[in-house]
Amino acid sequence: MSAPEVFQLSMGPLTGVAFGPDRSQVAVSPNNNEAQIYSRSGDSWDLKQTLSEHDKLITSISWAPNTNRIVTCSQDRNAYVWTPTAQGWKPALVLLRINRAATCVKWSPKEDKFAVGSGARTIAVCSFDEENNWWVSKHVKKPLRSTVLSIDWHPNNVLLAAGAADAKAYVFSAFIKGIDAKPEPTVWGDRLPFGTICGEFASPNGGWVHDVAFSPSGDALAFVSHDSSVNIVYPSGPGEPPAAFISVRCPSLPYLSLTFTNESQLVAAGHDCQPVVFSGSSSGWAYSHSLDEAAASGSRALTPNATGTRSASGGGRLNSEAFNMFKAADTRGQTKAPVSGAGAGAGAIPVGSDGMLLTVHQNSITSVEPYEWNASGEVVKVSTVGKDGRLVLWPVSGKAPGGIAGRMANLQM
Amino acid sequence: MSEYAFRKIDIDALDEDVLLPSDLFDPDPRGPDGALADAKRKSTDVRNLVSKGDIAGALNSILTDPPYGDGVDEAKKLTTSALLLILNSTRAAEIPGILKGLGPDQQDHLMAYLYKGMAALGHGQDVSGSVLLTWHEKLTEVAGVGCIVRVMTDRRIL
Repeated sequence: MSAPEVFQLSMGPLTGVAFGPDRSQVAVSPNNNEAQIYSRSGDSWDLKQTLSEHDKLITSISWAPNTNRIVTCSQDRNAYVWTPTAQGWKPALVLLRINRAATCVKWSPKEDKFAVGSGARTIAVCSFDEENNWWVSKHVKKPLRSTVLSIDWHPNNVLLAAGAADAKAYVFSAFIKGIDAKPEPTVWGDRLPFGTICGEFASPNGGWVHDVAFSPSGDALAFVSHDSSVNIVYPSGPGEPPAAFISVRCPSLPYLSLTFTNESQLVAAGHDCQPVVFSGSSSGWAYSHSLDEAAASGSRALTPNATGTRSASGGGRLNSEAFNMFKAADTRGQTKAPVSGAGAGAGAIPVGSDGMLLTVHQNSITSVEPYEWNASGEVVKVSTVGKDGRLVLWPVSGKAPGGIAGRMANLQM
Repeated sequence: MSEYAFRKIDIDALDEDVLLPSDLFDPDPRGPDGALADAKRKSTDVRNLVSKGDIAGALNSILTDPPYGDGVDEAKKLTTSALLLILNSTRAAEIPGILKGLGPDQQDHLMAYLYKGMAALGHGQDVSGSVLLTWHEKLTEVAGVGCIVRVMTDRRIL
């Protein structure tokens, strides 16, 4: 497996990230009211244009791959659709009609609509009004009880999944008359007027639903919530309990974002600072491996454990990195910290001798998105951004679940 | 100070659609009476099992479907004291083996009770901090920090 590509775009957190259609450009917000468009030249990213129309922090950015338009949303309760012109990107205001911050935005697969989640317990589904030449919105309100934290579109352009701070993940219809043709029946339902609730799910221990994602076929829904769980739902039909509801409890800190790479594999990342792969099917899902090799070679989970032990044999606080450093300085006059133990047991501490985390990301990962697909439509690269201001591109081996063949194919001679 | 008085206004009273803490979890299906009867039965079971030295069995019983939510204070008290009895009568060397035998749900519940025990230290509860810390250390090694996060996240207060 080739190494991940790491780019430091900002010293502070990155709050939105969206790649351009050909992946040569990226739009990010450096945790303020501006969105920056970078263009890639070789191994570096150069700032091309700054989109400054919002008054407050930009919370999310989405870039439509075919129509080449950007939509940004912000805590100032507005969203702008940006279109490229000869003089650069030009904004158009969207009438969101919300009274709290907009939290997340995403273009629909056909790019004729986008959805904006907000703190006003509302999702605004926006479409273009040709007559008046502006973007108008329709609201999904019920049964949302709290801030919408994440949204994702079903590939049929009609169904919309949302994760909220009321500890639920929802699936709605966002059918807009005059724009959408009547959708084919899916496992989620066959009659889908606007606002129909097709599913409502909660993780076993509750907690904010940080991110939701449909599988590539749209027949399964996955969500991560603040109880450190990854949940996958396979619906059986309208009005019936799901055919399978799989909840994987993780020993690590909670995940903040996830994306499917194919029907049987997903990548999740979050406060653990490393993207990890889960694989499975409707009969069960399990942790597979971490994409962060430094972390993966050390141990299974690289989360700092509460007791600070570095090996399974224990030793408590007397075995910590800092303690060893001072011990070495005291007894042997060494000022260089001991090399962190290879093959440390479960719960190895992720801090290296230089005080940096051993993971590539130095802080929570806030977003993981597909970056590159292969000919059969499987994701082979994902991008992550974090609160450390880093943008990282990770190769994902598209191996069959549990097969060693996939791993061997990635060996480089 | 008067300019800060507005901060004390109960804005939820003006909101017709308030999200209450109790809206965030499903109530105990057994109801308050069922939970109490269950807790009484289990608490007796635990005493018998502990006197026979079957710590794993006692822990398994008390951590299965513990009472949670509002209006079940008596059941919660019984369960907590039965659990603390188990913790106090376990030898430190046996703890890791017992913990590995618990299911993920039971591990989460045990962590919740450990924190509950720590909160009650010095309030007349018959428990020592060092016992709780030993269990906490061993449980974190087995179940990871995810277990702690789940306890903090869960609205079903034990």
